[in-house]
Amino acid sequence: MSPRRASSGGLIDRSRSIRFSFDGQDFTGHPGDTLASAMLANGVSLFGRSFKYHRPRGVLAAGVDEPNALVTVLRGEAREPNIQATMLEIYDGLQVVSQNRFPSLGFDIGALNQLGGKVLGAGFYYKTFMGPVFGPLKGTRFWMFCEHFIRHAAGLGRAGTVPDPSRYERMNAYCDVLVVGSGPAGLAAAKAAAATGARVVLAEQDARLGGCANWSGGSIDAQPATEWAAGAAHELAGLANVTVLSRTTVWGYYDGNTIAALERVADHKATPRTGEPRHRHWTIRAGKVVLATGAFERPLVFPGNDRPGVMLASAAARYAAEFGVLPGEKIAVFTNNDGAYASALALREAGCSIVAIVDVRGELSAAARELAVRTGAEVLTGRAVTGTEGGKKLHCIQVQGFDVVTGAITGDARSIDADCLLVSGGWSPVINLASQAGARAEWNDRLQAFLPPKEAEGWVGAGGFNGTFALDAALAEGLAAGSGEAGETAPDPAGDLDMSPAPVFEVTAKGKAFVDFQHDVTADDVRLAHREGFQSVEHLKRYTTLGMATDQGKTSNVPGLAIMANALGKQIPDVGTTRFRPPFAPVSIGSLAAERYGEIRPERLTPMHDWHLANGARMYSAGLWHRTMIYGLPGETVEQAYVREAKTTREAAGIADVSTLGKIMVQGPDAADFLDRVYTNIFSTLPVGKARYGLMLREDGLALDDGTTWRLGELDFLMTTTTANAGKVMQHLEFLLDVIWPELRVHLTSVTDQWAGASIAGPRSREILAACVSGTKVDNETLPFMGIVHGAISGAPVMICRLSFSGELAYEVYSGAGHGTHVWKALIEAGKPFGLVPYGLEALGTMRIEKGHVTGAEIDGRTTARDLHLDWMLSKKKPFVGSMMMDREGLIAPDRLQLVGIVSLDNQPLNGGSHIVEQLDRDRPHGSVGHMTAACYSPALGRHIGLALVKAGKDRRGQRAFVSDPLRRRFGPVEIVSHHFYDPEGKRMHG
Amino acid sequence: MIITCPYCGPRDSSEFVYQGEDGRTRPDPASTDQAAWNAYVYDRVNTAGEHEEIWQHSGGCRAHLRLVRNTLTHKISSVSMARHATVPRRRRKAETPA
Amino acid sequence: MVDQLSPLAPVLTPGRQGQGPMGVVLAEIAPGSIVQVAAWAGQESALIAIVRDATGLALPDGAGGGIATDTKAAFGFAPGKFLLADQEEGLAAALPKAVTSALGTVTDLSHGRTVIRISGTRAEWVLAKFFAIDFSLPALPVGAGLSTVHHDIFAQIQRSGADQFDIYVFRSFARSFWKSLCHASEEVNYEVR
Repeated sequence: MSPRRASSGGLIDRSRSIRFSFDGQDFTGHPGDTLASAMLANGVSLFGRSFKYHRPRGVLAAGVDEPNALVTVLRGEAREPNIQATMLEIYDGLQVVSQNRFPSLGFDIGALNQLGGKVLGAGFYYKTFMGPVFGPLKGTRFWMFCEHFIRHAAGLGRAGTVPDPSRYERMNAYCDVLVVGSGPAGLAAAKAAAATGARVVLAEQDARLGGCANWSGGSIDAQPATEWAAGAAHELAGLANVTVLSRTTVWGYYDGNTIAALERVADHKATPRTGEPRHRHWTIRAGKVVLATGAFERPLVFPGNDRPGVMLASAAARYAAEFGVLPGEKIAVFTNNDGAYASALALREAGCSIVAIVDVRGELSAAARELAVRTGAEVLTGRAVTGTEGGKKLHCIQVQGFDVVTGAITGDARSIDADCLLVSGGWSPVINLASQAGARAEWNDRLQAFLPPKEAEGWVGAGGFNGTFALDAALAEGLAAGSGEAGETAPDPAGDLDMSPAPVFEVTAKGKAFVDFQHDVTADDVRLAHREGFQSVEHLKRYTTLGMATDQGKTSNVPGLAIMANALGKQIPDVGTTRFRPPFAPVSIGSLAAERYGEIRPERLTPMHDWHLANGARMYSAGLWHRTMIYGLPGETVEQAYVREAKTTREAAGIADVSTLGKIMVQGPDAADFLDRVYTNIFSTLPVGKARYGLMLREDGLALDDGTTWRLGELDFLMTTTTANAGKVMQHLEFLLDVIWPELRVHLTSVTDQWAGASIAGPRSREILAACVSGTKVDNETLPFMGIVHGAISGAPVMICRLSFSGELAYEVYSGAGHGTHVWKALIEAGKPFGLVPYGLEALGTMRIEKGHVTGAEIDGRTTARDLHLDWMLSKKKPFVGSMMMDREGLIAPDRLQLVGIVSLDNQPLNGGSHIVEQLDRDRPHGSVGHMTAACYSPALGRHIGLALVKAGKDRRGQRAFVSDPLRRRFGPVEIVSHHFYDPEGKRMHG
Repeated sequence: MIITCPYCGPRDSSEFVYQGEDGRTRPDPASTDQAAWNAYVYDRVNTAGEHEEIWQHSGGCRAHLRLVRNTLTHKISSVSMARHATVPRRRRKAETPA
Repeated sequence: MVDQLSPLAPVLTPGRQGQGPMGVVLAEIAPGSIVQVAAWAGQESALIAIVRDATGLALPDGAGGGIATDTKAAFGFAPGKFLLADQEEGLAAALPKAVTSALGTVTDLSHGRTVIRISGTRAEWVLAKFFAIDFSLPALPVGAGLSTVHHDIFAQIQRSGADQFDIYVFRSFARSFWKSLCHASEEVNYEVR
């Protein structure tokens, strides 16, 4: 038997043992144990080292409020730091290591920091990292060098570096009633709501339902509360309209009763089941939320209150009742309220000896006195604990006289031997979620706590959340909250303890007294902040980092506020409280990312995707699309491949997959009128069976997108957009139709995926089509430039439009997407005798640069039609979107960035993103007059060329300049030329 | 946040995109009043309180909606279709879960 | 006539994944025709009548109203807009004759959408992993349809049976979505047909 495990009792399964390791040492526990309970059962009290001072720390709490006992869990190569030992269920093979210690937990060099306590006080980092403002080190990097070591010394666990192999998932749920918390009030609420036939979700952060019913004693419906809770949990699990989510922490409360919760599905298992995620992120939309989140016990602030062995009274009672663990042999109690007496008695009955109860109050209630007698403890009223002793473990406490009104310490210290000190400073209802939902907390003097408002929209509270601690009253509130009917106000039942504490938060004496255990913020730090002028509670929080650790100040907020109020000479409600923000408890990043990353993130494939892969294509991502970069031959570099592809296309023929172009059907009696309004040029005059190149502007007159639009029928147009802008253009058009011109009868439908597109270009392209197209001729008369014909290829219907992006004689062949590969293969086959090659995006880009055609790199949201030499497309005969805004002064200024061509004069490659400068200064690059938008090696010109946007570029043609690219260390002379590098008259495509 | 689309019913805000402030008047397309165009493109009221705005249900029926939303509380007091005067009601099955 | 090549062809392998009862069954239903019809404002009833005549389906009015048989389906997914599916080809060619320009428009999407059917006792559970939609029977009765989105994947979904849903996705996303569906279904065991 473990040294601290009681011989009986607890809700653990004693018939089975679980082996786990902590810092390489093997331990055993039982199913139902948390790491904290199992370690305590093994007599371990030292769990970790503190954040700043490296002080030895034990376990303070038993649940989600634990600030001290943080560990790192190892799963193979992956490591997850900062896991609360109190929330970690043990499983066979669990491997845990402690944190923030070097070289070991027992002997830690960083503990020397304790000696520098005055230096490391509040605002240490702010003050330190400003660096010297005078003296020899001013402005040097020396301080950055020091910072490295200082930062290394402070902190929590270390994050892993290998990819997390775990699976995460997101889930949506809808319900009429969401009950948060499964203590007596929550269970009563869930049962009542279920009885109305409502859809109910019950979320409990622990593995076991029941909350305080599992450890605080009492009876419900004439049975022990623990049994009642187990029965209620069983009953709810069997109801079809109830979803019970255990191990599920509700961490966010958002607008419209949208609730975020994290279910730890498999953290308690050595291996998840097939397909089972480790964590599941729930988004729950609830008609009504019942907040039955209970209350956290507060620690008291006194010197040495962080020594391992000091523990919240309720936590100790919970370890005894729920886990059969005795946290000490000789237990002392330090309290300002009656609640701790019940905890002490529970431990006495579990087999511990209670040596003393130290109460700050001079007078005790009859109930407290009676309990005290039953514990057999010496009761020291009007006294306070003013110090603790023990290295890594408590062995005695110092007690002195204490004036509950003035806080004055009197008399000599008396030492009392104890290996465990239970502390209770009153209770703080867990109002975090209500606060997130916008509720303003109200200070309650009797309970010395912030309570939620009585009236709220969207949620209703029950039990400890409301500050209602009596069991019967909490059950009544739960019932009322769940059924939606106002319950009777239960009278304060006799026999229940009055949980209201004396208004004492701190015992001021010599030594470090901790307020925020996790961030090592002491009471003196709070006072220091006050002296340095940080008097608003928001400033206090940021300056001292009080409440900003991963526990979000669950144990420290109210004591910190009380100490600040005292320093300011104000009442607590006058100092105010900060608003709680999500998350209530730490959330795994994996659960938030879930399916948005990795191999199951969404991707778009063209109809011919598999053909590309089977034929040597190297792919890259263009947005969500996978597109071919090159079809490399064995041994070819990327540049060799695209140069070959572009060259062959210009000399013979090439074929490219253009299925990704955005395609929108614009249909209806007003379609032509609509296009006239949104394009800068006229479309109503376009005959059926012809296509036209069009340009759209935004309302502010800047260029939006370009593409061709094909008139397929009198009332039917097929608009194409650039691949990247398809969604944006669709939204722009839908807005205009819905909001601006609702009278137009036009329908828009995305048909991008309906069509497979193959662009076939080059001097032999017409011959290739003639060889495989049936049902239509493709000669210049039947299919002139910008003409459209319908026919078939190898039995599949196709639509062919003669248009060119490459500058060659070229056609776009559209077929139904399901026929795309079939038609593509037929074109490849027909092209063989003519030397047809497939080409990728690199060759496509090369040919468009040679032609000076613009894409998204130039239509970048900052350029106008004039900047891009597209003035010829701006109709003067009609207004269009942007027509009144495009001629504003700044948009027609002569020094705007304008599109030019760039030729490398040193025969070295150019890069997109390089700056263009008039004078080269390698050491201090400056004087940018523009930037390159695209670059390639041009096989047609035999030079390295590119496009650029350059200030007053039109006037600079023929001038020398330089590229300056300090990141890639590329500097060199260039010539600014016209963007039309190749066949400027367009003879080839019209041929 | 939940937005109740008149056609699709209550949906998560992630299905919607904000499309700007409502209540702006686009000048007649042929208007050459530069000041009016500038006002349309750039001027915003940016009310703290009841705010008229346009949202597109881009992840649903794709209709544009006119909302009145309180920018201080995020409460939405009215939603209507920008284009369709009336939309048919969405029917629920008249039975409770099994 | 040339058969359509399914974007799922290389990844759709019939068989069972997992031991024990199958939570869901996944299949592609590959209709020969998928057509969108859309009415001008005020012409919705007239269009519904034409759809009834042309398909023989008693398409109900009401937002998202729909009906599904073994071979045909129709449902509303946006104001005045309906998606029709038929195992036979030819719907796209037949409808424009009936739907005049005074009434509305017809758009052929037979190649542009891929239809994936998910059925089984855990179908609602698996779909809830993807869509922020209340898939419970009262909220989405048999026959009813809706439009929604999973990240960038637009989907139109019709409940074609008590525990059966037909998901219309853009063809280019189909393979990626199918893989995600299989991945999400592992937990409940699934069969591909």
